[in-house]
This record gives sequence, structure tokens and C-alpha cells, in this order.
Amino acid sequence: MATQHTRRDFLARVGAAAAGVALTGATAPGCSDQPAGTNKRADKLARRVVIARDEKLAQGAVDEHRDLLRKLLNGSVQRLTGAPDAGAAWRGLFGRKDRVGIKVNTLGLSTQPAVADAVVAGLRHAGVPAENIIIWDRFDVELQRAGYKLNASKQGVRCFGTDAEEAGRGYQGRIESSGRIGSCFSRIVADQVDALISVPVLKDHNLAGVSLGMKNFYGAIHNPNKYHDHNCDPYIADVVAHRFIGPKWRLTVVDATRAQYHAGPGQSLEHAWPFGGLIVSGDFVAGDAVAADLLEAKRKTEGLESLTDEKRPPVHIATAGARGLGEADLSRIERIEV
Amino acid sequence: MECLENLFAEPTRRDVLRWGVACGAAGVLCDSAAVAQDTAGTGALEGPKLEGVARHEALFWEELADRKVKCTLCPRECEVADVERGYCGVRENQGGRYQTLVYGALCSANVDPIEKKPLFHYLPGTTAFSIATAGCNIECVFCQNWRISQFRPEQVPSRHVPAERLVGSCRSHGSPTIAYTYSEPTVFYEYMHDSAALARRHGIGSVMISNGYIQDKPLRQLCRHLTGVKVDLKAFTETFYVDHCAGELKPVLETLETLKDIGIWFELVVLIIPTLNDSSDEIRRMSRWVVKHLGPDVPMHFTRFHPTYRMTNLPRTPVSTIERCRQVAFDAGVHYAYAGNVAMHPGENTYCHGCRHELIRRVGMQTASNRLKDGKCPKCGTAIPGVWSQEQALAFSPRS
Repeated sequence: MATQHTRRDFLARVGAAAAGVALTGATAPGCSDQPAGTNKRADKLARRVVIARDEKLAQGAVDEHRDLLRKLLNGSVQRLTGAPDAGAAWRGLFGRKDRVGIKVNTLGLSTQPAVADAVVAGLRHAGVPAENIIIWDRFDVELQRAGYKLNASKQGVRCFGTDAEEAGRGYQGRIESSGRIGSCFSRIVADQVDALISVPVLKDHNLAGVSLGMKNFYGAIHNPNKYHDHNCDPYIADVVAHRFIGPKWRLTVVDATRAQYHAGPGQSLEHAWPFGGLIVSGDFVAGDAVAADLLEAKRKTEGLESLTDEKRPPVHIATAGARGLGEADLSRIERIEV
Repeated sequence: MECLENLFAEPTRRDVLRWGVACGAAGVLCDSAAVAQDTAGTGALEGPKLEGVARHEALFWEELADRKVKCTLCPRECEVADVERGYCGVRENQGGRYQTLVYGALCSANVDPIEKKPLFHYLPGTTAFSIATAGCNIECVFCQNWRISQFRPEQVPSRHVPAERLVGSCRSHGSPTIAYTYSEPTVFYEYMHDSAALARRHGIGSVMISNGYIQDKPLRQLCRHLTGVKVDLKAFTETFYVDHCAGELKPVLETLETLKDIGIWFELVVLIIPTLNDSSDEIRRMSRWVVKHLGPDVPMHFTRFHPTYRMTNLPRTPVSTIERCRQVAFDAGVHYAYAGNVAMHPGENTYCHGCRHELIRRVGMQTASNRLKDGKCPKCGTAIPGVWSQEQALAFSPRS
């Protein structure tokens, strides 16, 4: 079964519990109901979001623009961090020893592999070994369908689903609580990475309003179907506040090369929007707030009702902001357009 | 417990002997969580994994705009966008068409005593060929089968078992009944519907062990093929259902009234959880409602809770609490109130509601003796409500 306890689980639990008692006197992390919050590196980038667009990116196939995507992303990360060059910018976010998980979204309108490749290139700038990088989602089959080449070996950049038996190793065998959710987490986020980059698509969602950086991590739990009521709120905030997600999350890169402003998350050509850009932030709430704002503006342009009028406001963004996970107030977010 | 691969093969003499030993062991160990009523038994999760999911066109759904669908199988009425799934996690919208992903995808199969379901007034002393797929349409934080009910089909090793093979295996094991159980059969409705219809044509009855969270129309259609039902009545307050089950009480009560209207045999189970649903007042109101709306002959099983899944902060239910609840039910006019998950308790036995004569003695999940004569008390001649022969089971047809 995908959720069997392993010796590693047991040791991790014992170790974590011991550390919890020794360092803080608090409850062991696995038993805690308290959100773990964001990580300190991301805190330095709070309230800043870069929107990088290039008209050429909206033309032809996204795959034809790999160099342009790298340039846009490097420039965005540089602006975000204020570093003198791209290498320094990436090194400010990631270290050589980091094991980094790139969470793409391959349900419906999917993250373009070329965008994931640009993120990989950035990590390599920081000196992260290729073998320490995992591009992942829930299922191997969905990754393949979205154009990703699976690599479950220990050589090069790895790419696999949580369901990949040897590499992904399924879900943890115990229930983790965070707020109102109770879920088994993917062993990729639980055991295999120290840092996370969320690479969602700029797209509409029929229940949550939008499916962006935070909603993307529904793909890290075994039972996302249980948490779609009430516009997925407060469940999305509960998931990202968990110790396996929030403290590890360093960067959001929203793939807005091909966006969708309505009828998501499944692909709808009728509502396709060749935005031709990326939205980059180290503040995962601010990144989503700005991206959601862009979607709302586009909906208005297209004569559609607002998400609120359609009874699917993206309230999870405000909830995450209210919990101190990031900045949700647009008036307090620095929006940098390049 | 047996592995799925073995269950769908011909039984050997060794199997028969092993089953006998297992039944005996169950009687001895029945106070342990391992043989609590209707646990799935993960020992059955062996055998080659089903590759992918078992897609099949779903029943009971409506098309909506933008390739969305509305599921009308259960009261939740999920509106599901393209490529998304309903709350149950086993029904998926693909391009505006709704599909079940668990048609014949069995993740658990055991030959259980019918008493384990529990059904006490349905062919006592017989076995039920008990099966499940992944998925459930509610989420009880105390679910004892959460490792299959709260997972999606890809996450649970399963085998593809066509309805014909299920019926054949049931016959070869000598079970008069298929029990759709462990997780929530409503979510594998299409397979249950088709295999129950087939089983009936082969002289095998079918019982659904359910949370009762199903809409009227699918329930009525299904009951044309079923021969019995057990419903979990989790509590008698909306608050409990909302806070601990992610569901609602009202639709469950409506299901019970529909079952009464249909005329099918059914029994109720109430899992008594300390401090949450164990007050005498709540049990009294529940029992009175049962007597008024369903009649005094519907058996009520009050069973012990043990800590599990997301509810590990409460102790096991004291036996005295179960005894109190049972007495409250009797006082409210319920004819047959039972104690469940309590080893060797006299509350497991069936007593004539006319003269209190002991009719069926049970030891754990097994029937030790059965004194019923043609469904009547041998002492006073009172007709005892229930299904006492396979002929009677198969003769059932809905009265409305």
C-alpha cells in the first residue's frame, strides 16, 4: 500500500519528537495543530512580486522560447532579491546542499516544461547539483501527459510523481494535522526535499476561484477531494502552513505563458489567454494575490462576472494573509513589472 | 482474513480448515480492535496491483455549463469541473462526462460472518462474501477503515474483479450473500448495482453496509436488487454530523424513511463515542424517532468506539455506557437493541420481544445457537422480524 510506515518514518518521528522536546519543549511536529509559518529567507522578500512579460513569449510554442524564459526568470529573481547579478540572486535563495522540489501543476492546463527548465537553470546557477533537483507532481502519467520526461534514476535532474513506486514512494503512513485538514503527505515533500518552488499555471478554478501557487500544494496531500467545500477555505491555508510546505517554500514562479481566465482547472481553449509572462515572488501569498488580481482584471475585460459574483472568491488568499503566511493586501504589495 | 487472489480462486480443504480456525479465533479475540465490527482487514491487500483505475460511465449525474457536471448520487451533489473529482475521490469528470474509477476495483475481500456487518436478523450463522473499493462520501474522524475509505483508488492496491467473477467466487465459497461494505458502497454504486442484479439471478442475496448518505432515486433503483441493508446512524444531532463526519443528519434520516417505505430489511448501528453522542437524552430522542418513523422492529446496535484515525484523544467506550444506551432504547419501545464490539456480552443475544426467551446466542461474531422455528419464538410463537431463509431473502421486492 502507498502509505505503509517505514523504518525511516519511525526514526524520523522519534528524532523529530526528541528534537521538539529538547529545543522548544513543544509538542512533536507531527502532533502539532499549529501552522508552521514561512521560512526566514522568504521573509526577506515579503510583499514583493515581479511580473515579467515579453510579447514574443505569447507567440508560437512556449518550447521555442527556452532562452527567453531563462532570461526573464533570471531578471525577475534578480529584481526580486536586489542582487547584482542572476547568479548572486539565485545563490541568495538556494544553497549547494539544498535538495529542491519543483512542484509543477499537471492537472488540466499544465505548467510548461520549458518554464520548469528555466527554474532548473536558475537552481544550477546557485550551484544546486542536478541530482538534488526533483520536478514532481502527483502522478507519473500526468507528468508525461504534460510533456515531462520522467527520470527516476539518481543521475541528472529527477522527475517523477508521488506515485512512482521507487522514487516517489507514495504518501506517508500517518495522518498529519494542520488546522482543519488531516492528510497523509507525499514522501517527496516530507522526506526528499529541503526547499520548494511552486510553479503553477495562471488559471481559473471552479471552486477556489484561482489555482495558483498555494492551491498547487493540494497535489502534496493524499485527499485533496475532501477539501473543496467553502471555496477550499481555510483548507488551502492549512495545507501550506504545514511544516512540510511553508517553512520549505522559497519561491513561486507562476507560469503565465499560457493562462486561462475561466472554466478551469481543465483546459478550455475558449478561455485561453496568451499572457506571455511569468509572475515571480518569494512571498507566496503576495504572489497569488497579484496573480488573482490579474485574472480578475482579465475576466472584467472579457465581460465575465467577478469571481465573487460567481460565488467562488479566492478567499484562501486573504485567509493565508490573515494567518501571517504572507501579504494578501494588494495595497501593501510592491508590484514590479519588467 | 485472506488475500484477494486466494479469495477469487476455488477454496481448498486447507482453506475450509483455516476459515474454521479463524472463526474460532475471532470468537476468542473479539474484544480487540482487530475484529471490531466490519473492519476491512488490510491482510487482504495482497496480489498484483490494478494498473491505473477502472473507468466506467457513472450513473446519476447532470451536465452543467463549461463541461461541468453535477453528481446526483448522494446528498452532497458535488459540482465537478472537467478533470476534477467529487468529494468521494472515486468519481471523475472527463471532458464533461462523469465516470466512476472503481468499477470492479476491489481493494478488500473477506468471507465474514454476517454478524460482523453487523446484521443479526438476517440469515444468522451464515457468511457474507464481503468486498469494498476505495472511497467514501463523508469523512468520519473515527473511521475504522480509513486506510481504504479515505484514499483514492490509485493509492490503494486493488484487483479488477468483474461482476461475473465476484458472483462465481461467492458461490464457490458457499456464501449466500454478498456484502458491499467496509468503505462506503454508495461510491461504488454502479458495480454494486450490476453485481447485485447478477447475484440475484444466481440465487445470491446482496446487503449494503452503508452510511445512508444516498439520494432517494438511486436508493430505490438499487433496492430492486438488494436483500438487506445496514445503516450507520452516527448520532442524532446535525452538529455531530457536521463536526465529525463532514456530512448531515437529515439526508440519513430520509434514507431510513425511504428504506421503510421500500420495505427492505434493515438494521441500524450507532457507534457510541464517549462525551460526543452518548447522552441518554440523545439516545432517547433517537430511539423514539426510530420507533415512530421506522417501527419498533428495526434492530439497533449500540457499539463500542475505540480510538483510531483522527480521533485518538478519547478513550474506548465503557461497557456500562453501551448497556445504558441499550436500556434507553428498550425503554423507548425498541424491540431489539444490541450491544456491539463487546465480547461475550448477553446484549449480543436475540431475545423474543414477546416473552424475552433467548432465541439466538452469539459468541463474538459467531452464532452459537439458534432456537428460532420458522422465524418464530418456539416458546410463545411470536413472529420475529427479520430474514430467516435464503428463499425469503430472494423473494423480496420493493413495495414502492
